[in-house]
Amino acid sequence: MKVLERPTRNLFFTGKGGVGKTSTSCAVAVALADRGKSVLLVSTDPASNLDEVFDTPLTNAPTAISAVPRLQAMNVDPEAAAAAYRERVVGPYRSLLPADAVASIEEQLAGACTVEIAAFDEFAKLIGDRDMAARYDHIVFDTAPTGHTLRLLALPAAWSGFFGSSVSGTSCVGPLQGMAAQRDLYSAAVASLSDPLVTTMTLVSRAERSALEEAERTSVELAELGVRNQALVLNGVFQPKGTDDPVAVAMHRQERAAIAAMPARIAALERSVIPLKPRQVVGVEALRGFFTDFDGGTVLPLPHRPRSLPDFAQLVDQLQSGGRGLVMTMGKGGVGKTTVASRIAVELARRGFAVHLTTTDPAAHVAAAVGRVPENLTSGEINPRLEVERYRAEVMATTGAKLDANGRALLEEDLSSPCTEEIAVFQAFARVVEEARDRFVVVDTAPTGHTILLLDAAQAYHKEVMRQAKSVSDAVRNLLPRLRDPAFTRIVLCTLAEATPVHEAAALQRDLRRAGIEPYAWLVNQSLAPLALTDPLLLARRAQEGRYIDEVADTHAGRAFILPWEAGVSASVESSPEQVARIA
Amino acid sequence: MSTLDIYDPAQCCATGACSPDADDELAQFASSLEWLKQCGVAVSRYNLGHQPGAFAQNTMVKGTLEKDGIACLPLVIADGKIVSKGRYPTRGELGQQLGVAEQAGCAPAAPGAKRCCG
Repeated sequence: MKVLERPTRNLFFTGKGGVGKTSTSCAVAVALADRGKSVLLVSTDPASNLDEVFDTPLTNAPTAISAVPRLQAMNVDPEAAAAAYRERVVGPYRSLLPADAVASIEEQLAGACTVEIAAFDEFAKLIGDRDMAARYDHIVFDTAPTGHTLRLLALPAAWSGFFGSSVSGTSCVGPLQGMAAQRDLYSAAVASLSDPLVTTMTLVSRAERSALEEAERTSVELAELGVRNQALVLNGVFQPKGTDDPVAVAMHRQERAAIAAMPARIAALERSVIPLKPRQVVGVEALRGFFTDFDGGTVLPLPHRPRSLPDFAQLVDQLQSGGRGLVMTMGKGGVGKTTVASRIAVELARRGFAVHLTTTDPAAHVAAAVGRVPENLTSGEINPRLEVERYRAEVMATTGAKLDANGRALLEEDLSSPCTEEIAVFQAFARVVEEARDRFVVVDTAPTGHTILLLDAAQAYHKEVMRQAKSVSDAVRNLLPRLRDPAFTRIVLCTLAEATPVHEAAALQRDLRRAGIEPYAWLVNQSLAPLALTDPLLLARRAQEGRYIDEVADTHAGRAFILPWEAGVSASVESSPEQVARIA
Repeated sequence: MSTLDIYDPAQCCATGACSPDADDELAQFASSLEWLKQCGVAVSRYNLGHQPGAFAQNTMVKGTLEKDGIACLPLVIADGKIVSKGRYPTRGELGQQLGVAEQAGCAPAAPGAKRCCG
């Protein structure tokens, strides 16, 4: 483990949800403290389980971990920090302005950008603060600022209030303007991020194609921003016991293939491989064995089996009842929502319905795969990258043409925000849905509640100006009420039977509910629960799933279904044509 | 000197980037404002999301918000009188209200500026 041999002061761990950033950063923090260093461990995951890992109640101030001398830990919740920022802006006006005006300010500040900036504010306070620097040898973070945030901070226009005065007064940097007093602190933080003697950025990934590709993108993006001191952790690599268990053998083969095909840049990084654990890493002893334990200790005798849930065929039985309509699969990256969408489309078509399938994964080749299916299944593709490019070109040619160089740079960065991608994709799939009123349309993405609320506000506004200006396109106007119609639209929230994906899916559900949309069903994907297994490690993993399957069925889902792990259709290879074809 | 005050609605990225249509209406309006500035009009612009104080402190704005709700935004006020509610006025309308002839040519005409669309 590179970061243990030559540890820099700041250690960041980045990667998508569920790859084990928190476990890895905890283990690193414990190892450094055990070597006599004084360490601060910071978790910025809103669903952080550090308290559970260390069996110590934590707050947003450093707290000593009694089992590990010299280690202190804290939880920082960027959502809460963003909420506090929102309240600072809105609070004073609650009694002064009408309720709908206050609500519209709040929604504007509810986007992903505000949370990202609020998270950076927390990083900056910790890494830019001299007192903190004196108190600890190392600060370990279980996440890292995004490229979008770092680029924004680098723009002079972000700080000049340019948009506040000359165009329309708001952009992603709105929150920054509210924090302008912090500028020096932010500059110091950005400088230390790109100093290889001070900061190491460790990319954490599973041995899966899509996760590795995302790590590659992050690596390139950070390097372009000057953050070049990077390392790679491959977490949860599976080593089967013997060759008796076909599931174990298939899983192992799939991981080897993904590692062999690893993209060039991350393949060249210093790499640490961490073995798959039979159960969640909880407790200081488990953390001390984190880097070396291939067996994960002894496996409990015959772990209990998780409850069963209705299967995929039953989900499709229910979806087909309307005879037509929109089915959207939704979930964070890596939960297999593209595969699930393809399977639903193929199954509906096989049952004789007219179906149109659209996916947003440009590498999915679903079109090729489903080409073998009867004419009642058509398919298309929405490529988010192309949609954003098209959208960006359009906005730069119109709005951008009227701005000076600083203004254009800031507008370009606004156009790189997560909100922009969502809007661009939303417009594209509004067109797709419009195409097909007499059939099933299956899409592998769904808009967030935030987008729906913004579009709704924009729609109300455009109603007023319709005579004068061009209005919201017909496709968008027709789509909004349909999204809210449970007889027409059904959202299937996809998750894995693991802590982080379940919490992320629950957050997506809360956000949809804000916009008056109730997901139709939850699908637990790639589950070991329905499988016959003999490998002891997989048996233990299967038992572990029970807790999350219960949580989905009892706490979150109106209707819960389960789809077993299957060779060739897990997230790692969901895009390869042969494999998608096999389900057809 | 004439004054023009614009009270904009709260929007996520009102650069237009986050609006449901890549909308050059905002940019056209901005170019009209540039033209009026060149002609000596004092132009001020407030966004509900970032300068809520400006809305709360102006009794005319606050009163209109209470009566009509946020549908009254954007609210455009020329020399203390409401010019338009819920839409961005055209260059012609603005010129008329402020006594600036559209042909005045205080500054080069912005590309793509619409004349009128009733």
